[in-house]
Amino acid sequence: MRAILHLDLDTFFVSVERLLDSRLNGLPILVGGTGNRGVVSAASYESRVFGVHSGMSMKMARQLCPEAIVIKGNAGTYTKYSKAVTDILKEDVPILEKASIDEFYADLTGMDKYFGCYKFASELRTRITKETGLPISFGLSTSKTVSKVATGEAKPSNQIKIDEGFEKPFLAPLSIKKIPSVGDKTFQSLCHLGIKKVATVQQMPMEMMESVFGKHGKAIWLKSNGIDNSQLVQYHERKSISSERTLGKDTIDVYKLKTIIRAMAENLGYQLRKGQKLTSCITVKIRYSDFNTHTKQAHVPYTAADHNLIPKVLELFEQLYAKRLLIRLVGVRFSSIVSGNHQMNLFENTAKTAQLYQAMDGIRNKYGERSVYRASTFGAKTIGNMTNPFNGEPPIVLAHRTA
Amino acid sequence: MRFSVSSSDFLKKLQVASGAINPNPVLPILEDFLFDIENNVLTISSTNLETTIITKLDVVADEGGKIAVPAKILLDTLKALPDQPITFAVDENGSGIELTSDYGKYKLAGDNPEDFPETPAEENVDHITLDAWVLANAINKTLFATSSDELRLAMTGVYVQVDFNKIVFVATDAHKLVKYQYTEGIDSEVTNSFIMPKKALTLIKNVVTNESTVKLSYNSTNVFVDFGDTRMVCRLVDAKYPDYNAVIPVENPNLLTISRKDFQSSLKRIAIYANKTTNQVILNINDGSLTISAQDLDFSNEATEQLSCTYSGEPMTIGFNAKFLIEMLGILESDDVVFELSTPNRAGILMPSEQTDTDSEHLLMLVMPVMMSN
Repeated sequence: MRAILHLDLDTFFVSVERLLDSRLNGLPILVGGTGNRGVVSAASYESRVFGVHSGMSMKMARQLCPEAIVIKGNAGTYTKYSKAVTDILKEDVPILEKASIDEFYADLTGMDKYFGCYKFASELRTRITKETGLPISFGLSTSKTVSKVATGEAKPSNQIKIDEGFEKPFLAPLSIKKIPSVGDKTFQSLCHLGIKKVATVQQMPMEMMESVFGKHGKAIWLKSNGIDNSQLVQYHERKSISSERTLGKDTIDVYKLKTIIRAMAENLGYQLRKGQKLTSCITVKIRYSDFNTHTKQAHVPYTAADHNLIPKVLELFEQLYAKRLLIRLVGVRFSSIVSGNHQMNLFENTAKTAQLYQAMDGIRNKYGERSVYRASTFGAKTIGNMTNPFNGEPPIVLAHRTA
Repeated sequence: MRFSVSSSDFLKKLQVASGAINPNPVLPILEDFLFDIENNVLTISSTNLETTIITKLDVVADEGGKIAVPAKILLDTLKALPDQPITFAVDENGSGIELTSDYGKYKLAGDNPEDFPETPAEENVDHITLDAWVLANAINKTLFATSSDELRLAMTGVYVQVDFNKIVFVATDAHKLVKYQYTEGIDSEVTNSFIMPKKALTLIKNVVTNESTVKLSYNSTNVFVDFGDTRMVCRLVDAKYPDYNAVIPVENPNLLTISRKDFQSSLKRIAIYANKTTNQVILNINDGSLTISAQDLDFSNEATEQLSCTYSGEPMTIGFNAKFLIEMLGILESDDVVFELSTPNRAGILMPSEQTDTDSEHLLMLVMPVMMSN
């Protein structure tokens, strides 16, 4: 029988902020974008009482909870604390999956005989809180899904163990929304069908779910019945890297937009070179003020050189932006990534270019990503993410977003 | 119109001409051979509008005449026949064809010869004659380096430079470059250059082998290649060839001399462990030893080999696409090769070791490294 442990750091961003400044203890706190367009990435339990939740627009959150302290947050700090937790787990746990910045799975199968899984997990939890000062919750059961749901029920700062054979009764009284992969839309459709509790799905035949929701329906049915044989993913291979930016104010200023996407391409190019990767698929994304989102992509020979990437990105942007409508968001993504270095071209004055990249990347490695940049990207602020995207860890995805 | 001919001789010529016929041509008439008989000589033409092949064959004919004949059915028939005299006859209407062999009769419909595209005229041409093996050799050595990128049209062909007493063939795909030069017996009154398309060169390479000399006549649009009783007309690539001389590094202080076979077979083994998309290998060159290594992080594959070599210059670490190096070493024939390098960011030059500037044959290969991060 498998023993899968799911650990989740409680209101991770808020906990970290409180660790740095104890005056924040007990106060309602919101972490997220502070601008007009900001979104709540994490909300303390004190603020949740007012109906605030992550993913909500900051404007609305402030209306609901005017006394809340809003913190902008710093991805670098969070990564550091997340790593501290990861290090402790890596030391003790045989198979570890880092599912996101504040979420872990551990496979404790076979350890029951020697340590007692629940005892071991409890000690682990105590140790993490003691050594890092961060509250953490866990759920222990026979599968990833059930453990994750259990953690959700255990929170805050608590633990739950679901014994083998009790998965179904544990899930039954819960809202169907608690099943991972049931999002707002699926939940709504399910509600329209009169399905609100997991118990209802458990009583339905699988074929019925499959005929309504297709493959996804089958997955929901299996999860609702506590059937989940998926293995832990120990290494997250980055299949793409991307950067996007919601503008402070919608704009049709093409010059400004181009500056931003140029800066994004430049930064992503640096990340590729730093990770010794090459891309062959470039995608540009724009979202108009009416939330209509358009993307356009192009395949190129494998490259990591700015002088190939930037012109292509701009070309795609020009093809894509033909409407003269206000733009809300722009983004650049490089996918089809392989390991390797850029194959230089005989006819592109490459020796000099290569030296230029090496010099620029050297400065960036030492003094930070935006310590040196092209004059044409002057004015594009806070592009870049400070971490190596190819370290096998999942990308930092804000709590409310789905990866 | 009626003629008799040996089926195997006939087939041999038709097979030469069939090289210019594309499987799915834009016009139906391009699926045909054009037969033209005059004074007991049969002229067979075929074309894909880019390349035209014209070849001649002695036959016993009763009169002159022209007809377009579907190529595939005729070739298939002749391939299925043992060697024997056959008779080819066209009826009065000029459309029905009847083949007669020892075994029986075969009828097929011919097409109007007037529909067959006209062969480009040989106007304002310059000539050059060279040994057939030189041309075959030049094609063999350069063709692999051509690009298949239709956006850079010039590089899809081989650049031919005729320069009074030498002829130079150049091919590049912007990552590697080959320059093959031949001087002996070359005599041209002019200096000129043109780009021959890859496809035509493949055809020439396949049929030119048994001949002794080849005559190239060229103008601004076409090159006419004559060998034996066959002529090929190729439309030239209409593009400007990049200035390749400018990219050949002049000062290469670091010289690596190594056994070609050892180098190549080592690369082949190491490449198995390299990333399958990039084929990237790292050469670490020190005094007297060359270390070749590769790794594929995605599969945790890794390999290293050490070879002995002669090296004079600064110790260097440089990365290459192993596929390029293996290809180039396969084209070279000498026992030892010289690899001239300057810096890890500049092209390396690969040459046969015993080659002097006075040799009638001169071969130079250029390969661009990958950009290493520090």
